[in-house]
Amino acid sequence: MGVVPYLGLKYLEFLEFLRFFLEVLKTMFTPPFRKKEFVEQLYFVMNKSLFIVVFCVSFAAVVTIIESSFHMKIVIKNDSLVPGFAALLILRELGAVVTSLLLTSRVGAGYAAETGSMKITEQLEALQMLGINKINFIVVPRFLACMVAGLVLTIIANAACLFFALIVTEAKLGYGLGAFLSSMRAFVSYQDFIFSAVKGTVFGSVIPLISCFYGFKCKSGAEGVGQTTTKTVVTTTIVIIGLDFFLSWFFSYFY
Amino acid sequence: MSSIELKQLEFNFGTKDWGLENINLSIANQESFVMVGPSGGGKTVLLKLMAGLYHPLSGQLFIEGQDFHQLKLKQQQALMFKMGMLFQKNALFDSLTVLENVTFPMAEVTSLSAKEIKEKALHFLEEVDLMHALDNYPDEISGGMQKRLGIARALALEPKIIFFDDPTAGLDPITSRKIVELMLQLKKETSATTVTITNDMNRAFQLADRIAVLVDQELIITGDKEKTLNHSDPRVHQFVRGLMEGPLTGWDS
Repeated sequence: MGVVPYLGLKYLEFLEFLRFFLEVLKTMFTPPFRKKEFVEQLYFVMNKSLFIVVFCVSFAAVVTIIESSFHMKIVIKNDSLVPGFAALLILRELGAVVTSLLLTSRVGAGYAAETGSMKITEQLEALQMLGINKINFIVVPRFLACMVAGLVLTIIANAACLFFALIVTEAKLGYGLGAFLSSMRAFVSYQDFIFSAVKGTVFGSVIPLISCFYGFKCKSGAEGVGQTTTKTVVTTTIVIIGLDFFLSWFFSYFY
Repeated sequence: MSSIELKQLEFNFGTKDWGLENINLSIANQESFVMVGPSGGGKTVLLKLMAGLYHPLSGQLFIEGQDFHQLKLKQQQALMFKMGMLFQKNALFDSLTVLENVTFPMAEVTSLSAKEIKEKALHFLEEVDLMHALDNYPDEISGGMQKRLGIARALALEPKIIFFDDPTAGLDPITSRKIVELMLQLKKETSATTVTITNDMNRAFQLADRIAVLVDQELIITGDKEKTLNHSDPRVHQFVRGLMEGPLTGWDS
Protein backbone atom coordinates (compact mmCIF):
# COMPACT_ATOMS: atom_id res chain seq x y z
CA MET A 1 0.00 0.00 0.00
CA GLY A 2 1.24 3.46 -0.91
CA VAL A 3 1.90 6.19 1.65
CA VAL A 4 -1.11 8.32 0.70
CA PRO A 5 -3.72 5.51 0.92
CA TYR A 6 -2.13 4.35 4.18
CA LEU A 7 -2.37 7.83 5.69
CA GLY A 8 -5.93 8.10 4.38
CA LEU A 9 -6.87 4.88 6.13
CA LYS A 10 -5.19 6.02 9.35
CA TYR A 11 -7.08 9.32 9.14
CA LEU A 12 -10.39 7.46 8.72
CA GLU A 13 -9.49 5.20 11.64
CA PHE A 14 -8.74 8.28 13.73
CA LEU A 15 -12.14 9.77 12.90
CA GLU A 16 -13.75 6.45 13.80
CA PHE A 17 -11.87 6.48 17.10
CA LEU A 18 -13.05 10.03 17.83
CA ARG A 19 -16.65 8.97 17.24
CA PHE A 20 -16.11 6.00 19.54
CA PHE A 21 -14.62 8.29 22.21
CA LEU A 22 -17.56 10.68 22.00
CA GLU A 23 -19.96 7.74 22.33
CA VAL A 24 -18.10 6.58 25.44
CA LEU A 25 -18.35 10.08 26.94
CA LYS A 26 -22.06 10.22 26.16
CA THR A 27 -22.73 6.74 27.51
CA MET A 28 -20.79 7.54 30.69
CA PHE A 29 -23.63 9.81 31.78
CA THR A 30 -26.40 7.46 30.66
CA PRO A 31 -27.91 4.86 33.03
CA PRO A 32 -27.52 2.09 34.01
CA PHE A 33 -24.43 3.01 36.04
CA ARG A 34 -22.48 -0.18 36.58
CA LYS A 35 -20.93 0.18 40.03
CA LYS A 36 -20.24 -3.54 40.43
CA GLU A 37 -18.35 -3.79 37.13
CA PHE A 38 -16.48 -0.56 37.94
CA VAL A 39 -15.33 -1.91 41.31
CA GLU A 40 -14.33 -5.24 39.74
CA GLN A 41 -12.29 -3.47 37.10
CA LEU A 42 -10.73 -1.12 39.62
CA TYR A 43 -9.67 -4.14 41.66
CA PHE A 44 -8.27 -5.83 38.56
CA VAL A 45 -6.31 -2.78 37.43
CA MET A 46 -5.17 -1.46 40.81
CA ASN A 47 -4.58 -4.44 42.98
CA LYS A 48 -2.96 -6.65 40.40
CA SER A 49 -0.79 -3.88 38.92
CA LEU A 50 0.34 -2.26 42.15
CA PHE A 51 3.30 -4.52 42.86
CA ILE A 52 4.59 -4.45 39.28
CA VAL A 53 4.30 -0.67 39.10
CA VAL A 54 6.01 -0.04 42.45
CA PHE A 55 8.74 -2.57 41.65
CA CYS A 56 9.52 -1.15 38.21
CA VAL A 57 9.33 2.56 38.97
CA SER A 58 11.44 2.13 42.11
CA PHE A 59 14.20 0.50 40.14
CA ALA A 60 13.87 3.19 37.47
CA ALA A 61 14.31 5.83 40.22
CA VAL A 62 17.35 4.07 41.63
CA VAL A 63 18.95 3.84 38.18
CA THR A 64 18.17 7.51 37.55
CA ILE A 65 19.97 8.53 40.77
CA ILE A 66 23.01 6.35 40.10
CA GLU A 67 23.35 7.37 36.45
CA SER A 68 22.81 11.08 37.16
CA SER A 69 25.39 11.02 39.93
CA PHE A 70 27.91 9.20 37.75
CA HIS A 71 27.61 11.68 34.89
CA MET A 72 27.37 14.82 37.03
CA LYS A 73 30.52 13.82 38.84
CA ILE A 74 32.31 13.51 35.50
CA VAL A 75 30.99 16.75 34.05
CA ILE A 76 30.65 19.18 36.96
CA LYS A 77 32.58 17.23 39.59
CA ASN A 78 29.66 17.48 41.99
CA ASP A 79 26.47 15.48 42.48
CA SER A 80 24.69 17.65 45.05
CA LEU A 81 22.03 18.55 42.48
CA VAL A 82 21.14 14.91 41.87
CA PRO A 83 18.35 14.56 44.49
CA GLY A 84 16.49 17.62 43.24
CA PHE A 85 17.05 16.77 39.59
CA ALA A 86 15.92 13.16 40.14
CA ALA A 87 12.82 14.27 42.07
CA LEU A 88 11.90 16.59 39.21
CA LEU A 89 12.37 13.84 36.65
CA ILE A 90 10.36 11.41 38.75
CA LEU A 91 7.43 13.77 39.18
CA ARG A 92 7.37 15.18 35.66
CA GLU A 93 8.04 12.00 33.71
CA LEU A 94 8.94 8.73 35.37
CA GLY A 95 6.00 8.23 37.70
CA ALA A 96 3.20 8.85 35.19
CA VAL A 97 4.83 7.58 32.00
CA VAL A 98 6.38 4.37 33.34
CA THR A 99 3.20 3.56 35.27
CA SER A 100 0.99 4.01 32.22
CA LEU A 101 3.34 2.06 29.95
CA LEU A 102 3.27 -0.80 32.45
CA LEU A 103 -0.53 -0.59 32.56
CA THR A 104 -0.58 -0.66 28.77
CA SER A 105 1.27 -3.95 28.60
CA ARG A 106 -0.60 -5.54 31.48
CA VAL A 107 -4.11 -4.11 31.37
CA GLY A 108 -4.36 -2.80 27.79
CA ALA A 109 -3.18 -6.05 26.23
CA GLY A 110 -5.57 -7.98 28.47
CA TYR A 111 -8.53 -5.78 27.57
CA ALA A 112 -7.75 -6.01 23.85
CA ALA A 113 -7.53 -9.81 23.98
CA GLU A 114 -10.69 -10.02 26.11
CA THR A 115 -12.85 -7.77 23.94
CA GLY A 116 -11.34 -9.26 20.78
CA SER A 117 -12.26 -12.76 21.93
CA MET A 118 -15.74 -11.54 22.82
CA LYS A 119 -16.06 -10.14 19.30
CA ILE A 120 -14.98 -13.29 17.47
CA THR A 121 -17.05 -15.60 19.67
CA GLU A 122 -20.15 -13.46 19.02
CA GLN A 123 -20.48 -12.50 22.70
CA LEU A 124 -20.76 -8.82 21.74
CA GLU A 125 -23.68 -9.66 19.48
CA ALA A 126 -25.19 -11.76 22.24
CA LEU A 127 -25.08 -8.68 24.48
CA GLN A 128 -26.72 -6.66 21.72
CA MET A 129 -29.46 -9.30 21.40
CA LEU A 130 -30.12 -8.85 25.11
CA GLY A 131 -30.51 -5.12 24.56
CA ILE A 132 -27.29 -4.42 26.47
CA ASN A 133 -25.17 -1.54 25.18
CA LYS A 134 -21.63 -2.91 24.83
CA ILE A 135 -20.10 0.50 25.50
CA ASN A 136 -22.09 0.87 28.68
CA PHE A 137 -21.36 -2.68 29.81
CA ILE A 138 -17.75 -3.12 28.70
CA VAL A 139 -16.04 0.18 27.95
CA VAL A 140 -17.38 2.66 30.50
CA PRO A 141 -16.51 0.64 33.65
CA ARG A 142 -13.01 -0.04 32.28
CA PHE A 143 -12.57 3.58 31.21
CA LEU A 144 -13.51 4.94 34.63
CA ALA A 145 -11.53 2.28 36.49
CA CYS A 146 -8.38 2.95 34.45
CA MET A 147 -8.83 6.69 34.88
CA VAL A 148 -8.98 6.35 38.68
CA ALA A 149 -6.26 3.68 38.70
CA GLY A 150 -4.01 5.84 36.50
CA LEU A 151 -4.35 8.69 38.97
CA VAL A 152 -3.89 6.62 42.14
CA LEU A 153 -1.10 4.42 40.78
CA THR A 154 0.79 7.49 39.55
CA ILE A 155 0.58 9.04 43.02
CA ILE A 156 1.73 5.77 44.60
CA ALA A 157 4.46 5.37 41.97
CA ASN A 158 5.71 8.90 42.63
CA ALA A 159 5.76 8.25 46.37
CA ALA A 160 7.59 4.93 45.92
CA CYS A 161 10.05 6.51 43.49
CA LEU A 162 10.84 9.38 45.84
CA PHE A 163 11.18 6.99 48.77
CA PHE A 164 13.65 4.74 46.94
CA ALA A 165 15.43 7.77 45.52
CA LEU A 166 15.86 9.04 49.09
CA ILE A 167 17.22 5.68 50.28
CA VAL A 168 19.69 5.31 47.43
CA THR A 169 20.75 8.95 47.73
CA GLU A 170 21.55 8.41 51.38
CA ALA A 171 23.16 5.01 50.89
CA LYS A 172 25.14 5.66 47.72
CA LEU A 173 25.67 9.44 47.55
CA GLY A 174 25.73 10.18 51.25
CA TYR A 175 23.07 12.91 51.30
CA GLY A 176 20.60 12.73 54.19
CA LEU A 177 16.89 13.43 54.31
CA GLY A 178 17.41 17.16 54.95
CA ALA A 179 19.74 17.56 51.96
CA PHE A 180 17.39 15.55 49.77
CA LEU A 181 14.37 17.67 50.71
CA SER A 182 16.13 20.99 50.37
CA SER A 183 17.50 19.98 46.95
CA MET A 184 14.05 18.79 45.98
CA ARG A 185 12.48 22.07 47.14
CA ALA A 186 14.86 24.01 44.90
CA PHE A 187 13.76 22.07 41.81
CA VAL A 188 10.21 20.92 42.40
CA SER A 189 7.10 23.07 42.68
CA TYR A 190 3.60 22.11 43.80
CA GLN A 191 2.42 22.19 40.17
CA ASP A 192 4.61 19.20 39.43
CA PHE A 193 2.53 17.04 41.77
CA ILE A 194 -0.70 18.23 40.18
CA PHE A 195 0.51 17.87 36.59
CA SER A 196 1.86 14.41 37.31
CA ALA A 197 -1.55 13.36 38.62
CA VAL A 198 -3.25 14.85 35.55
CA LYS A 199 -0.87 12.97 33.27
CA GLY A 200 -1.54 9.70 35.13
CA THR A 201 -5.30 10.21 34.77
CA VAL A 202 -5.13 11.05 31.06
CA PHE A 203 -2.75 8.20 30.23
CA GLY A 204 -4.84 5.77 32.27
CA SER A 205 -8.01 6.73 30.41
CA VAL A 206 -6.37 6.25 27.00
CA ILE A 207 -5.55 2.57 27.66
CA PRO A 208 -9.09 1.07 27.76
CA LEU A 209 -10.28 3.37 24.97
CA ILE A 210 -7.68 2.12 22.50
CA SER A 211 -7.82 -1.51 23.63
CA CYS A 212 -11.63 -1.71 23.43
CA PHE A 213 -11.68 0.21 20.13
CA TYR A 214 -9.35 -2.33 18.53
CA GLY A 215 -10.96 -5.23 20.39
CA PHE A 216 -14.35 -4.38 18.89
CA LYS A 217 -12.76 -4.43 15.43
CA CYS A 218 -10.94 -7.73 15.99
CA LYS A 219 -10.76 -10.10 13.04
CA SER A 220 -11.61 -13.74 13.53
CA GLY A 221 -9.15 -16.38 14.62
CA ALA A 222 -6.22 -16.57 17.00
CA GLU A 223 -4.21 -14.47 14.57
CA GLY A 224 -6.84 -11.74 14.71
CA VAL A 225 -6.68 -11.58 18.51
CA GLY A 226 -2.87 -11.55 18.39
CA GLN A 227 -2.83 -8.72 15.86
CA THR A 228 -5.37 -6.75 17.89
CA THR A 229 -3.30 -7.09 21.05
CA THR A 230 -0.08 -6.07 19.32
CA LYS A 231 -1.76 -3.13 17.59
CA THR A 232 -3.25 -2.01 20.91
CA VAL A 233 0.04 -2.08 22.81
CA VAL A 234 1.98 -0.34 20.03
CA THR A 235 -0.68 2.34 19.42
CA THR A 236 -1.27 3.01 23.11
CA THR A 237 2.47 3.33 23.74
CA ILE A 238 2.85 5.81 20.87
CA VAL A 239 -0.22 7.77 21.97
CA ILE A 240 1.01 7.96 25.58
CA ILE A 241 4.45 9.18 24.49
CA GLY A 242 2.82 11.71 22.14
CA LEU A 243 0.37 12.90 24.78
CA ASP A 244 3.23 13.20 27.26
CA PHE A 245 4.97 15.58 24.87
CA PHE A 246 1.86 17.71 24.31
CA LEU A 247 0.90 17.79 27.99
CA SER A 248 4.46 18.69 29.04
CA TRP A 249 4.48 21.48 26.50
CA PHE A 250 1.07 22.71 27.63
CA PHE A 251 2.01 22.56 31.34
CA SER A 252 5.21 24.50 30.67
CA TYR A 253 3.03 27.62 30.33
CA PHE A 254 1.89 27.28 33.94
CA TYR A 255 5.28 27.35 35.68
CA MET B 1 -49.37 -9.25 10.75
CA SER B 2 -46.00 -10.81 9.94
CA SER B 3 -43.59 -11.52 12.69
CA ILE B 4 -40.62 -10.57 10.52
CA GLU B 5 -40.68 -8.88 7.15
CA LEU B 6 -37.77 -7.93 4.90
CA LYS B 7 -38.36 -5.53 2.03
CA GLN B 8 -35.81 -4.93 -0.72
CA LEU B 9 -32.99 -5.56 1.73
CA GLU B 10 -29.46 -4.92 0.54
CA PHE B 11 -26.26 -5.56 2.46
CA ASN B 12 -22.53 -6.00 1.98
CA PHE B 13 -19.37 -5.65 4.03
CA GLY B 14 -18.05 -2.70 2.05
CA THR B 15 -16.50 -4.79 -0.70
CA LYS B 16 -17.84 -5.63 -4.13
CA ASP B 17 -16.96 -9.34 -3.84
CA TRP B 18 -20.05 -10.35 -1.95
CA GLY B 19 -23.40 -8.90 -0.99
CA LEU B 20 -27.08 -9.60 -0.52
CA GLU B 21 -29.45 -7.76 -2.82
CA ASN B 22 -33.19 -7.40 -3.14
CA ILE B 23 -34.07 -9.75 -0.30
CA ASN B 24 -37.82 -9.95 0.28
CA LEU B 25 -39.31 -12.22 2.88
CA SER B 26 -42.27 -12.41 5.21
CA ILE B 27 -42.40 -14.80 8.15
CA ALA B 28 -45.76 -15.29 9.83
CA ASN B 29 -46.40 -15.39 13.56
CA GLN B 30 -45.58 -18.78 15.10
CA GLU B 31 -44.16 -20.00 11.82
CA SER B 32 -41.12 -22.26 11.80
CA PHE B 33 -38.97 -20.96 8.97
CA VAL B 34 -35.76 -22.74 7.95
CA MET B 35 -33.01 -21.40 5.72
CA VAL B 36 -30.54 -23.70 4.01
CA GLY B 37 -27.85 -23.05 1.46
CA PRO B 38 -24.20 -23.56 0.58
CA SER B 39 -21.62 -22.62 3.24
CA GLY B 40 -20.39 -19.05 2.97
CA GLY B 41 -23.53 -18.03 1.12
CA GLY B 42 -24.62 -15.47 3.71
CA LYS B 43 -27.22 -17.35 5.77
CA THR B 44 -25.79 -16.15 9.07
CA VAL B 45 -25.55 -12.60 7.75
CA LEU B 46 -29.18 -12.72 6.68
CA LEU B 47 -30.20 -14.13 10.06
CA LYS B 48 -28.36 -11.32 11.82
CA LEU B 49 -30.01 -8.81 9.49
CA MET B 50 -33.38 -10.25 10.51
CA ALA B 51 -32.42 -9.92 14.17
CA GLY B 52 -31.41 -6.29 13.68
CA LEU B 53 -27.78 -7.00 14.54
CA TYR B 54 -26.56 -5.68 11.19
CA HIS B 55 -27.70 -2.49 9.55
CA PRO B 56 -28.74 -2.96 5.90
CA LEU B 57 -27.43 -0.63 3.20
CA SER B 58 -30.96 -0.15 1.99
CA GLY B 59 -34.39 -1.70 2.39
CA GLN B 60 -36.50 -2.24 5.46
CA LEU B 61 -36.75 -4.71 8.30
CA PHE B 62 -40.13 -4.95 10.00
CA ILE B 63 -40.40 -6.74 13.32
CA GLU B 64 -43.95 -7.15 14.57
CA GLY B 65 -44.98 -4.49 12.05
CA GLN B 66 -42.44 -1.90 13.21
CA ASP B 67 -39.76 -0.55 10.89
CA PHE B 68 -36.82 -1.59 13.09
CA HIS B 69 -34.11 0.73 11.79
CA GLN B 70 -36.37 3.77 11.96
CA LEU B 71 -36.97 3.26 15.68
CA LYS B 72 -35.09 4.99 18.47
CA LEU B 73 -32.49 2.97 20.37
CA LYS B 74 -34.81 2.40 23.36
CA GLN B 75 -37.58 1.14 21.09
CA GLN B 76 -35.13 -1.11 19.26
CA GLN B 77 -33.98 -2.53 22.60
CA ALA B 78 -37.57 -3.16 23.60
CA LEU B 79 -38.01 -5.21 20.42
CA MET B 80 -34.70 -6.99 21.03
CA PHE B 81 -36.07 -8.23 24.35
CA LYS B 82 -38.73 -10.08 22.36
CA MET B 83 -36.08 -11.95 20.39
CA GLY B 84 -33.68 -14.66 21.41
CA MET B 85 -30.81 -16.17 19.50
CA LEU B 86 -28.75 -19.31 19.60
CA PHE B 87 -25.50 -18.28 17.95
CA GLN B 88 -23.44 -20.49 15.68
CA LYS B 89 -20.53 -20.44 18.15
CA ASN B 90 -22.98 -20.36 21.08
CA ALA B 91 -21.62 -16.95 22.26
CA LEU B 92 -21.81 -18.01 25.87
CA PHE B 93 -20.36 -15.60 28.41
CA ASP B 94 -17.23 -17.49 29.36
CA SER B 95 -16.66 -15.64 32.62
CA LEU B 96 -20.10 -16.71 33.90
CA THR B 97 -21.21 -20.15 35.08
CA VAL B 98 -23.96 -22.15 33.40
CA LEU B 99 -26.53 -20.80 35.86
CA GLU B 100 -25.25 -17.22 35.59
CA ASN B 101 -25.40 -17.35 31.78
CA VAL B 102 -29.17 -17.79 32.09
CA THR B 103 -29.77 -15.47 35.05
CA PHE B 104 -27.67 -12.65 33.54
CA PRO B 105 -30.15 -11.59 30.80
CA MET B 106 -33.03 -11.61 33.27
CA ALA B 107 -31.06 -9.65 35.89
CA GLU B 108 -30.12 -7.09 33.23
CA VAL B 109 -33.47 -6.67 31.57
CA THR B 110 -36.31 -7.59 33.92
CA SER B 111 -37.33 -6.21 37.29
CA LEU B 112 -37.72 -9.66 38.82
CA SER B 113 -36.24 -10.39 42.24
CA ALA B 114 -33.07 -12.47 42.52
CA LYS B 115 -35.11 -15.40 43.86
CA GLU B 116 -37.60 -15.28 40.97
CA ILE B 117 -34.76 -15.00 38.45
CA LYS B 118 -33.04 -18.05 39.89
CA GLU B 119 -36.28 -20.04 39.88
CA LYS B 120 -36.93 -19.20 36.24
CA ALA B 121 -33.36 -19.94 35.25
CA LEU B 122 -33.52 -23.32 36.96
CA HIS B 123 -36.75 -24.04 35.11
CA PHE B 124 -35.12 -23.34 31.72
CA LEU B 125 -32.01 -25.30 32.65
CA GLU B 126 -34.16 -28.23 33.70
CA GLU B 127 -35.89 -28.10 30.31
CA VAL B 128 -32.53 -28.43 28.56
CA ASP B 129 -31.27 -31.01 31.06
CA LEU B 130 -28.40 -29.03 32.49
CA MET B 131 -29.25 -29.16 36.19
CA HIS B 132 -26.14 -31.20 36.91
CA ALA B 133 -23.78 -28.55 35.52
CA LEU B 134 -25.05 -25.35 37.14
CA ASP B 135 -21.70 -24.28 38.57
CA ASN B 136 -19.58 -25.26 35.59
CA TYR B 137 -18.14 -22.69 33.21
CA PRO B 138 -18.95 -22.96 29.48
CA ASP B 139 -15.49 -24.28 28.61
CA GLU B 140 -15.96 -27.10 31.12
CA ILE B 141 -19.00 -28.59 29.38
CA SER B 142 -19.37 -30.49 26.10
CA GLY B 143 -20.39 -29.02 22.73
CA GLY B 144 -23.90 -30.45 23.00
CA MET B 145 -24.30 -29.05 26.50
CA GLN B 146 -23.08 -25.66 25.28
CA LYS B 147 -25.75 -25.72 22.56
CA ARG B 148 -28.39 -26.57 25.16
CA LEU B 149 -27.14 -23.79 27.40
CA GLY B 150 -27.30 -21.42 24.43
CA ILE B 151 -30.92 -22.46 23.92
CA ALA B 152 -31.73 -21.94 27.61
CA ARG B 153 -30.20 -18.47 27.48
CA ALA B 154 -32.08 -17.65 24.28
CA LEU B 155 -35.29 -18.62 26.08
CA ALA B 156 -34.51 -16.68 29.24
CA LEU B 157 -36.48 -13.60 28.28
CA GLU B 158 -39.34 -15.70 26.91
CA PRO B 159 -38.95 -14.33 23.40
CA LYS B 160 -41.63 -14.27 20.74
CA ILE B 161 -39.06 -14.79 17.99
CA ILE B 162 -36.16 -17.22 18.30
CA PHE B 163 -33.26 -17.44 15.87
CA PHE B 164 -31.23 -20.64 15.70
CA ASP B 165 -27.96 -20.34 13.82
CA ASP B 166 -26.89 -23.84 12.83
CA PRO B 167 -28.03 -25.49 16.08
CA THR B 168 -26.71 -28.93 15.19
CA ALA B 169 -23.38 -27.94 13.65
CA GLY B 170 -20.50 -30.11 14.82
CA LEU B 171 -22.68 -32.40 16.90
CA ASP B 172 -22.91 -36.17 16.62
CA PRO B 173 -26.17 -37.54 15.13
CA ILE B 174 -27.66 -38.52 18.48
CA THR B 175 -26.93 -35.17 20.17
CA SER B 176 -28.06 -33.41 17.02
CA ARG B 177 -31.34 -35.34 17.15
CA LYS B 178 -31.78 -34.46 20.82
CA ILE B 179 -31.28 -30.77 20.07
CA VAL B 180 -33.88 -30.87 17.29
CA GLU B 181 -36.34 -32.72 19.55
CA LEU B 182 -35.75 -30.07 22.19
CA MET B 183 -36.36 -27.29 19.67
CA LEU B 184 -39.61 -28.93 18.53
CA GLN B 185 -40.74 -29.36 22.11
CA LEU B 186 -39.92 -25.77 23.00
CA LYS B 187 -41.61 -24.53 19.86
CA LYS B 188 -44.76 -26.33 20.95
CA GLU B 189 -44.54 -24.93 24.48
CA THR B 190 -43.67 -21.33 23.66
CA SER B 191 -45.56 -20.82 20.37
CA ALA B 192 -42.70 -18.59 19.27
CA THR B 193 -41.81 -17.76 15.70
CA THR B 194 -38.57 -19.57 14.87
CA VAL B 195 -36.02 -18.94 12.16
CA THR B 196 -33.41 -21.66 11.82
CA ILE B 197 -30.32 -22.03 9.71
CA THR B 198 -29.06 -25.51 9.01
CA ASN B 199 -27.27 -27.45 6.32
CA ASP B 200 -28.72 -30.76 7.43
CA MET B 201 -31.69 -31.30 5.12
CA ASN B 202 -33.24 -34.01 7.32
CA ARG B 203 -33.26 -31.65 10.29
CA ALA B 204 -34.59 -28.86 8.06
CA PHE B 205 -37.53 -31.02 6.94
CA GLN B 206 -38.16 -32.03 10.56
CA LEU B 207 -38.28 -28.44 11.79
CA ALA B 208 -39.73 -26.41 8.95
CA ASP B 209 -43.18 -25.17 8.13
CA ARG B 210 -41.47 -23.44 5.22
CA ILE B 211 -37.98 -23.67 3.74
CA ALA B 212 -35.89 -21.17 1.81
CA VAL B 213 -32.63 -21.81 -0.02
CA LEU B 214 -30.03 -19.06 -0.19
CA VAL B 215 -27.98 -19.61 -3.35
CA ASP B 216 -25.87 -17.14 -5.28
CA GLN B 217 -27.06 -14.38 -2.94
CA GLU B 218 -30.63 -15.10 -3.98
CA LEU B 219 -33.23 -16.23 -1.45
CA ILE B 220 -35.47 -18.83 -3.07
CA ILE B 221 -38.48 -19.64 -0.94
CA THR B 222 -39.30 -23.20 -1.77
CA GLY B 223 -42.12 -24.07 0.65
CA ASP B 224 -42.63 -27.32 2.53
CA LYS B 225 -40.69 -30.57 2.20
CA GLU B 226 -42.46 -31.80 -0.93
CA LYS B 227 -42.19 -28.49 -2.75
CA THR B 228 -38.54 -28.13 -1.78
CA LEU B 229 -37.62 -31.60 -3.00
CA ASN B 230 -39.43 -31.04 -6.29
CA HIS B 231 -38.41 -27.44 -6.88
CA SER B 232 -37.69 -26.55 -10.50
CA ASP B 233 -34.60 -24.40 -9.89
CA PRO B 234 -31.59 -26.59 -10.71
CA ARG B 235 -29.50 -25.00 -7.92
CA VAL B 236 -32.15 -25.86 -5.32
CA HIS B 237 -32.47 -29.34 -6.81
CA GLN B 238 -28.72 -29.93 -6.57
CA PHE B 239 -28.42 -28.54 -3.05
CA VAL B 240 -31.33 -30.28 -1.36
CA ARG B 241 -30.40 -33.61 -2.93
CA GLY B 242 -26.70 -33.15 -2.26
CA LEU B 243 -25.68 -33.86 -5.84
CA MET B 244 -22.07 -33.54 -6.93
CA GLU B 245 -22.99 -32.39 -10.42
CA GLY B 246 -24.93 -29.24 -11.06
CA PRO B 247 -24.73 -25.46 -11.36
CA LEU B 248 -23.47 -24.95 -7.80
CA THR B 249 -20.32 -26.98 -8.40
CA GLY B 250 -19.80 -25.78 -11.96
CA TRP B 251 -20.12 -29.36 -13.26
CA ASP B 252 -23.25 -28.68 -15.21
CA SER B 253 -23.92 -31.72 -17.30
